[in-house]
Amino acid sequence: MKKINLLYLFGFLMFFASCEFEEQIDPNAPSINSVLTDATLTELNLLVTGTEANMRNGFGNYVTSSGSVAREFYLFDADPRNTEDLLGKDGMMLDNNTFYLTAPYNTRYRVVKNCNILLEALENTENVTEAEKDAYRGFANTVKGYMLFQVLNLMGENGIRVDVADPENLGPFVSQSEAFNEIVSTMETGFSQVQNSDFKLPLSVGFAGFDDAESFGQFNQALTAKILTFAGDYQGALDRLSKSFLDLSADIMNGPQHVFSTASGDIFNPLFKSPQQNGDQIVVHNSMLEDALPGDQRLNKFRERDNPTSQDGLNGTHETALYASSTSPISIIRNEELILLYAECNIQTDNPGEAVNAINVIRSAHGLPDYDGSTDKDALIDELLFQRRYSLWGEGNRMFDLRRYGRLNDQFVPIDRAGDIIHMQFPIPLTEGQ
Amino acid sequence: MKHLITRLGVLLCMLFFATSAIAQFTVTGKVTDSNGEALIGVSILVKGTTVGTVSDLDGNYSLNVPGESAVIDFSYTGFSAQAVEVSPTNNRVDIILKEDIANLEEVVVTGLASSIKRSNLANAVSTISSNQLTGVTTQQTVDGALYGKLTGVNIVSSNGAPGGGIAIRLRGISSLSGNNQPLIIVDGVYITNAEIPSGARFASGANSGSEEGASNRLADLNPADIENIEVLKGASAAAIYGTRANAGVIIITTKKGSSGRTSVTLDQDIGFNTIQRFVGRRTFADSSAVAAAFPNDASAPVLWQQAFEAGEIFDYEEEIYGETGLISDTRLKISGGNSKTKFYVSGGYRTEDGIIKNTGFDRFSTRLNLNHKIADNLTLSSYTNYVNSQASRSFTGNENEGGLSYGYNLAFTRDYINLFPDEDGNYPDNPNAAGNPIYVRDRTTNEENNNRFIQGFNLEWNAYQTDNQVLRFTLGGGFDLLNNETFVYVPEDHQSQRGQDNGFVAVGKNKIFNYNYQVFANYDYFTSNNISFNTSVGVSYLNFERDFILNRSTQLIPLQTNLQQAGAQQIAQTLEMEEDFGIVLQEQINWDDKIIGTVGVRFDKTTLNGDPNRFFAFPRASLAANLANFDFWTSESISQFKLRVAYGETGNSADFGSLFTRLSPVNINGNAGFIVNTSQGNSMLEPETSTELEFGADISLFDNKLGLAVTYYIRGVDDLLYTRALPTSSGFSSEIRNDLQLENRGLEVGLNLNPVSSPNFSWVSGVNFWFNRSEVTQLGIPDGSEGEDIPSFTPPGVAFGLGLGTFYIDEGSPITALWGSGADGPEIQGDTEPDFQLGWWNEFKLFKNIDINFLTHWKQGGDALNLSRLLTDIGGTTPEDITDRFADATNFIEDASYFRLREIGAYYTIPVNSPFMQSVRIGVSGRNLLTLTDYSSYDPEVSTKGGTGLSNSIEVTPFPSSKQAYFHLRLNF
Repeated sequence: MKKINLLYLFGFLMFFASCEFEEQIDPNAPSINSVLTDATLTELNLLVTGTEANMRNGFGNYVTSSGSVAREFYLFDADPRNTEDLLGKDGMMLDNNTFYLTAPYNTRYRVVKNCNILLEALENTENVTEAEKDAYRGFANTVKGYMLFQVLNLMGENGIRVDVADPENLGPFVSQSEAFNEIVSTMETGFSQVQNSDFKLPLSVGFAGFDDAESFGQFNQALTAKILTFAGDYQGALDRLSKSFLDLSADIMNGPQHVFSTASGDIFNPLFKSPQQNGDQIVVHNSMLEDALPGDQRLNKFRERDNPTSQDGLNGTHETALYASSTSPISIIRNEELILLYAECNIQTDNPGEAVNAINVIRSAHGLPDYDGSTDKDALIDELLFQRRYSLWGEGNRMFDLRRYGRLNDQFVPIDRAGDIIHMQFPIPLTEGQ
Repeated sequence: MKHLITRLGVLLCMLFFATSAIAQFTVTGKVTDSNGEALIGVSILVKGTTVGTVSDLDGNYSLNVPGESAVIDFSYTGFSAQAVEVSPTNNRVDIILKEDIANLEEVVVTGLASSIKRSNLANAVSTISSNQLTGVTTQQTVDGALYGKLTGVNIVSSNGAPGGGIAIRLRGISSLSGNNQPLIIVDGVYITNAEIPSGARFASGANSGSEEGASNRLADLNPADIENIEVLKGASAAAIYGTRANAGVIIITTKKGSSGRTSVTLDQDIGFNTIQRFVGRRTFADSSAVAAAFPNDASAPVLWQQAFEAGEIFDYEEEIYGETGLISDTRLKISGGNSKTKFYVSGGYRTEDGIIKNTGFDRFSTRLNLNHKIADNLTLSSYTNYVNSQASRSFTGNENEGGLSYGYNLAFTRDYINLFPDEDGNYPDNPNAAGNPIYVRDRTTNEENNNRFIQGFNLEWNAYQTDNQVLRFTLGGGFDLLNNETFVYVPEDHQSQRGQDNGFVAVGKNKIFNYNYQVFANYDYFTSNNISFNTSVGVSYLNFERDFILNRSTQLIPLQTNLQQAGAQQIAQTLEMEEDFGIVLQEQINWDDKIIGTVGVRFDKTTLNGDPNRFFAFPRASLAANLANFDFWTSESISQFKLRVAYGETGNSADFGSLFTRLSPVNINGNAGFIVNTSQGNSMLEPETSTELEFGADISLFDNKLGLAVTYYIRGVDDLLYTRALPTSSGFSSEIRNDLQLENRGLEVGLNLNPVSSPNFSWVSGVNFWFNRSEVTQLGIPDGSEGEDIPSFTPPGVAFGLGLGTFYIDEGSPITALWGSGADGPEIQGDTEPDFQLGWWNEFKLFKNIDINFLTHWKQGGDALNLSRLLTDIGGTTPEDITDRFADATNFIEDASYFRLREIGAYYTIPVNSPFMQSVRIGVSGRNLLTLTDYSSYDPEVSTKGGTGLSNSIEVTPFPSSKQAYFHLRLNF
């Protein structure tokens, strides 16, 4: 009897135990491995679009974090840390694990990762020609270099990791100067790859006019010129400017842009704030209004508030009007900045006449009379930084401009509350384990 | 040799039995309780055999006993068992059974298809009866009803809104990867207890779905349908549930009909929700005080003065949270049956308004439980439950610039600003916050609607039975189908919507379908020397499917709430499929109720593991010794003295999707692209394993008037799955790892008392005392061996960074500690683990028809991080003086000890001995009527991050908890 029972048992156990599960496939998204071998043209293009799209993510925090430190404006929103940590309230230091740092830092490196995946995918596919591959490579290296440059701006003397292709084996933190060298070299690699490539990348309308091998190369050189200027290599920058889309007589707004839309999955311009909105507003630092020259049309970037606003012991009468709507584009780099870089490099290479000429292009574009001050180097640097301050307000430059010229201190930056301090750079994020 | 003889004996017995040639005699008698009332259906069994009967409607029985003498066991639910020797000369036995105060006779489910008497149990399995669950007051949700009634259980509420939002944690933290919630099985069906987010975060700016304060779906179960709840708290008891049991198992059994007269019960409860306490708002004596409070706002004193003179200083806290919500709970129960078929039918409708206008919860549920004997040895049971539940929860908790969460915006709202609509219905903007809470209350919507169908079945076949062996097959299983719909609407003229999203609609269509089955063979074998063997062998299969679709529209056409009437749409879909298969083997040996040993093992495989076809073994073993049942035990006053020890292992696999590194879809200007996801998958994942050693003693004294159960457990978790932040320069922000070790140790003491028991007055009391301590014993792999030693870290998403206080994983420290930035780096600034908790339960019965019950709950120690206070400090609305306070975690970590009158009820039963009606019961009761605490916010039981992972005791402007008072009426037909 018992034997029969056991046989029964054995029988049905075997029946059910034969149930074999299939290897799991993610039903929700393609896997990273799917593009690393035999990537198709479509997959490569998707990586390009994803890379371009994600350059925009975290850029808002890049601007608001550095702009708050530089006292271009205050960010009055529900998060107290925008007016406490960033402004060094009561001597408070920057936290190494908070959104104002991690948001721009993580998103920049995420784009770098996507570029590295694109580069790796290109090595393992035969679905596109070598000339086509060079276009992808040039794009990937240009974006990668530019993203690392933004991270380096935040980190300053803390340096950054440049070699991050292998997540299991990240390269070391390198010094600021070494990082500049590596970034420039990445940009130059990208430039040479783009040069004779078969460039048909699916860039958005933001790159209209910068979407062939020649014009994308000019974009690359424009960024390289900016990077070299920030690195202090003014002659090198001048060389690159000559190969960029710099044009003293063209529209100063000319240049590629980050575009935004209401399409499904797309994002809004993170720096647009609704007119007169409370609770989430970029409030112009009062010094921007006090220091402005009469008639400067760049004052249109500021809108007077119906009610002056205050938060955490800070106040302001104007708010940002830099962008007209939540889908207004954000300039990546434009002729205006190239002209200013051209002026700066000419000042630094002792060519004041050309510098004043360039500065006057900017002044006249904004309704100001020609520069009539001293043409000695220090005076011109003052003038240049003044012009950069108003031309590039709210675009993530001021903190680094001040730092480059040793002016990121209370002699040049207004302190609004007793006890506030000015941060020189952002700390290395906690997760880097440094 | 002996075995052979036994078997031969069995065979001979069978032969003789068939021809009735063996010697036998008849025993008769009557079974009553101590008041002389007949007991119907008492199980009467010849010890060591399967020969038995039950007592009839008058308590009489008659039993043919084989042999020349025997011992007969009398057992009956709720009463202590008795054993009596009988012989052909001593064949008239009248028995008076005593009430089983210590629940020693209760049958506890220990395997998937086997059970054991509590007095023989080697684990501390807590059981909650329907009387304890719903006897004192009406319960909103099943999990909420467990507060303070069980040892080793910590319950936190993430949302005070009607309809739940509750997390149950058994014996401390067992997982970091999200699943700290016990497995819930209702009548054999593995039901879902998901918290389904509504997508409100896309309008409010909350960081994650867990911050939306969604309800957990256990809220759908009607507590009044529940017969009992068994809680397997740790691995030693839950091992047989294998790879999903790391956080414990809650086994819910619903009510069944009984044969006899059909009973009809109608219940109507009417109650009220009111806020437990108001925190208060900052008030000003004069305009100079206003000027001092807002030094940089020149307009503040002027506006205050104007408002003051106009008599327009408001109390917005009271305006928003001050509603009295009406509660109505109607239940109809019909049960009955005959010897072949028993049924239980119930219908219930509960409607409840919250303390915020336009919030509430409605639940309509019906149940049909059927048990039918197809043949004498074949029983089919079916459990059918349909539920429709609806909740309107509005917006609370954390947000970022959404202008929606009440508490968040109230923190910045100034009471001298008039936020009420003008006569044309235009709501003013809130000049100091991102939204106007009056507008949010009146104009926005955040609702969910659930349709749920749970069907369980069980087929039991007694395939073979002799007087000393039984072979039983069971086939059980069922499904849980949940259709959840969510709807969020923020109109285009909301302050934070204008110029940005210009209106927001989110419609979620979410489906969860779980099904499972199990097949078991159970073989009982009794030897003549009073050793019984119970062998279970079986398999179990689970299949869980989820399909979550969330559609969002922005740029709305004014006043339209259709997804299509919008300028921008977003779709998100999440698919999840999980399959588990397990093989179970278990052997239980019982030597005359003296020594009871169990060994078992479960082999499980699941598609959540890296290798979906690899079996992992989860063994268990336990031993209980009932010293009082040995002959040497002579003490009359100690009727039970049991020592027990149990060991077991359980598992938990990573959440679905952890195996994959994804490319996420993105879009720029209408062009699709993809970007690498920030979480790095790991295709090698293995389940985390919890191992638990539990030992204790159960003692019953003085005729079971006093029962004491003491349990100590050591519960480790190895290969703990956790999300660890990666150096983000890698492009990833997190990875899943498998190399952390955690240990929980704790003590649980349960004391049952029945000091007075007379016909006119009885008092039953229970005290539950427990505490738990945790420690991270190992992090990563230590230096010197393969792998790496992981430095201490903040798990992603558990809080808001070290600056504001967070959980932090550090070797050698408790996992429940709250850390902040100290002078020398991260330091412990608090601990959410309570020092101890104590629940005290009391039942008084007066003159047979008055019942008075109450339950108190004392939690001593355990901190909470009150970030609501941080916000009101910044907004200048904190009621007390905050001049010297600095935005640092230490200032916001508060002692969250409390003493609470959880439940209290008084009932009077009026006997109506008419043919139509048996009795009428009226009563009053209350929940959470009294709380004594130093905690400065609404409720010391909080969690802003929902029920997942570590999250617990961090507060960001929750839906304030309410207290309830009820009137009850019951008609028994």
